[in-house]
Amino acid sequence: MAPISSFIERPRAFCALGGAVMTVTALPGAVPILHSALGCGGSIYYNQYGSTGYLGAGFCGGMSVPSSNVGEQEIVFGGVDRLDEQVRNTLKIVDGDLYVIVTGCTTDMIGDDIQSVVRDYADQAPIIGVETGGFRGDGYKGYDLVLQGLFRHYVERQDATDPLSINLWGIVPGQDVFWRGNLHNLKLSLEKLGLRVNTFFTDGATLDDLRQAGRAALNVVVSPRYGVTAAGVFEEVHGTPYLTTALPIGPSAMARFLREVSARLGLDAARVDAVVAAEERDYYFFIDRLADTYNDLDLQRYAVVVGDANYATALTRFLANDLGWLPSLTVITDDLYEDEQAHYHEELAALTSGVTPRLVFETDASEINRHFAKMWPRNRGQKFYHAFSPAFVVGSHLEREFAKNIGAAHLSVTYPIGNRVVIDRAYAGYHGALTLIEDLFGVIVAER
Amino acid sequence: MSYIEAKVPPKREQRLGACNVYGGDGCGLKKSFGGCCLQQAKRGFGQGSICQLLPGTAIVNTISDAVVIVHGAIGCGGPGHTQNAGVRGTQMARGSTNPRGTLWLSTNLNERDVITGGEEKLEEAIRQADRRYRPSAIIVISSCVPGIIGDDIDAVTSRLQPEVAARLLPIHCEGFKTKIMATAYDAIYHSVARNLLDPEAETVSVIVDDIEVARERIRRSKLVNLLNVSSMGSVDEKELTRLLNGLGLEVQIFPCAAHPDDFRKVTEAALSISTCPTHDDYFVKHLQQQYGVPFVQRFMPIGIENTNQWLRAVAACFNLESIAEEIIARETAELRDALASLTPAFVGKKAMISAGEVRALSLGNLLQELGMEIVAVRPYHWDEFGETALDQLVANQVREPIINVATVHPYESVNLIGKTTPDIYFGHPSDSVWAAKTGIPTIPVYHGGYTYVGYAGAFEIARRAWRQLANPTFNHRLKQHVRQPYQAQWLAEHAFHYITEGDADGPY
Ligand code: SF4
Repeated sequence: MAPISSFIERPRAFCALGGAVMTVTALPGAVPILHSALGCGGSIYYNQYGSTGYLGAGFCGGMSVPSSNVGEQEIVFGGVDRLDEQVRNTLKIVDGDLYVIVTGCTTDMIGDDIQSVVRDYADQAPIIGVETGGFRGDGYKGYDLVLQGLFRHYVERQDATDPLSINLWGIVPGQDVFWRGNLHNLKLSLEKLGLRVNTFFTDGATLDDLRQAGRAALNVVVSPRYGVTAAGVFEEVHGTPYLTTALPIGPSAMARFLREVSARLGLDAARVDAVVAAEERDYYFFIDRLADTYNDLDLQRYAVVVGDANYATALTRFLANDLGWLPSLTVITDDLYEDEQAHYHEELAALTSGVTPRLVFETDASEINRHFAKMWPRNRGQKFYHAFSPAFVVGSHLEREFAKNIGAAHLSVTYPIGNRVVIDRAYAGYHGALTLIEDLFGVIVAER
Repeated sequence: MSYIEAKVPPKREQRLGACNVYGGDGCGLKKSFGGCCLQQAKRGFGQGSICQLLPGTAIVNTISDAVVIVHGAIGCGGPGHTQNAGVRGTQMARGSTNPRGTLWLSTNLNERDVITGGEEKLEEAIRQADRRYRPSAIIVISSCVPGIIGDDIDAVTSRLQPEVAARLLPIHCEGFKTKIMATAYDAIYHSVARNLLDPEAETVSVIVDDIEVARERIRRSKLVNLLNVSSMGSVDEKELTRLLNGLGLEVQIFPCAAHPDDFRKVTEAALSISTCPTHDDYFVKHLQQQYGVPFVQRFMPIGIENTNQWLRAVAACFNLESIAEEIIARETAELRDALASLTPAFVGKKAMISAGEVRALSLGNLLQELGMEIVAVRPYHWDEFGETALDQLVANQVREPIINVATVHPYESVNLIGKTTPDIYFGHPSDSVWAAKTGIPTIPVYHGGYTYVGYAGAFEIARRAWRQLANPTFNHRLKQHVRQPYQAQWLAEHAFHYITEGDADGPY
């Protein structure tokens, strides 16, 4: 049984069904079929609309998702017949390349056997079913569940592996508002090592690429949490090993990331060194001409970082190790159990810059004030007060209020983001870090 | 027994025979509505739609000095992130320089809770919310999961009420219980009526000041409730307030953005003014029965003639007809002059509209006044309240508009667009984009920052339509480059093929 949990203020995640829909609709030509009550489709869309940097419905998302819209009658008598009719008609109306049945709270609770429906249509179209009832977890969990379903039932078994081919995941569509750009940037850098990189969702990836994903020599999960269970399933079914590593932002993290991946693949160390050197040359080619401003305007800042298990430590590491800032409080907003927390403490204890931010696990935006107040003493009328200033809050749009309270600048980087429009912008990788610097410093000079 | 005495209000299907599945013409719709077949109608293919929780949270998230607890799994309250934008706007308009936006909690029911029940967790959330945020009210709104596991939110809130400082409002919005999302309006008003309208113990002053009493009586004789369930932004409220002030009336607005302590003032007014019976019918009738406050609700003030009628109906309650006629004459004359430069662009233009029942039809009336033809209207649901505007819509046009009752369902709209080739589409977020992908320009049928109602609304909608028609390039090009999710075979099929009731033989 799931452990006891508490309420969450303004949760920074979809439900498992929402995450599943975000994941399926991010796959090219894929169509989710919701087996749920009538409102889940709309609820997910109206959530997505203002929290993911205005990510739209796409090919067959939003209100176009086929949905069985079960009501009281199905909840009492079972919804399998309604689902059967829904799938039958979906195949006549919707022009998809892959159909994924995903379930909501209502149908999961009554225990509808969706796999029986999947079996009935398996010879007519590529179709799988995944149980993703909202009470099973958050959007990250939904992502993981869909990947598990795909890896088990859609990805084909391969006899041979391609030693230079890898699959890359761990960046969750929608939950990472910059998912498209981030996957793209990491893929570009990995390709410089001579690798073929399959991201499933971006860069012209096709469903065929996904089906052939079993050819990869390694699965790289750029997350300590998201998609990790799915990586285990992949290994179990296809025998492919996996590496979990942090989301890399900026040159220090990227060097570590590229070396880690190539070591696991047994690539030539000299080649990696050459790639890292070239990428860093390129990065500092740009930084060179920012140096005047950084020094003349004194752009060093104290920072509070608020984000999910991917972003919170990744951003903190970049700000401390590359940008030379003083991240002082890092808030991980995932609802983590104590035994899962140690990993993040270790990560932050190992910052090369020697800065050690305080790390807290907190889901609720309004509680961040309290954590901050404990950490930084208030001015009690002192004439010479060592203030938390100049400061920057890197978080979600929910942190605007907190940032203003402490007199800090603010940029929305983590979910939810309703105050920026995001298309192919990226913060991961080398160029992602340059973009992040542009955006951070852009806020500082905006009123000049 | 009045509805209000029950814990849960009836769903719209029961109270009004409302339905949301139909395709055909207006005459056929009215005929089937009379019978019972309309309610039995089903779609053999459904698409993600809207449950009552969505409008439910959209309204309660605006209540000031309140915390909303969405009792359910973690995702059901998620639209609160998007509703945040409008709430922040209101808070800033009221002078906040650091607005918090929506403040809601999810009880985050998980796999354990669906087995053991969620009441304890809800209790804990209520206690914490009271302690942490010190709000005037805590609004508990329940979604599907507690409805299935049988959590009794009314019992929980009455059990906890003595312990907490905030007023507790239980609201039932379990999505699966009704197909008609408008049931949410009743659910909210129901809880307001049960929990916020009791008069506070009047402070008895020793010396009663007769003049004060008389002054207050006179004030209340001109005090009106203007009801807004998040279908008007502040610019719309301003326009209607302007018109009502023109009649010499003082306006107080409920329930959106109101403070919990102010709700009882709603019983002090001389009249309740609704802009839409689909929204407020349940509440205005309660106010009349229980507190003797009469109401008007027949017309939605979208459209020139609709606004005239709305204003006349209000004026008639105060014997102010002649002042209303003066206002109408002045406003419509000015408006007609202003529209003269815009309307040539609408000649021969065809429009399709998808929105809440009365809004969709009233907007149709306006577009007809601007010179457009309505090829299809897609009301989110159907009940008796649509009839006035529907009759007018049909009467105003040579060619009968298609009526497609659907809570969004874009596969039908995209099919109809192919057959009726509208030049412009009016829809809500989540809906318009599917029309956009067919290459035609669209206009948001509602947006909190835009004016829709009254004379100002008529002009602003015309300006928006003029602007969109002046350069529809974005969607033209979009059509050329994006893949449609529908099979060609479906687009050639009868638009209402998957509906089991309605006029399946029409030319669609
Ligand atoms: S689970 Fe129920 S209440 Fe929640 S969004 Fe879905 S239909 Fe609405």
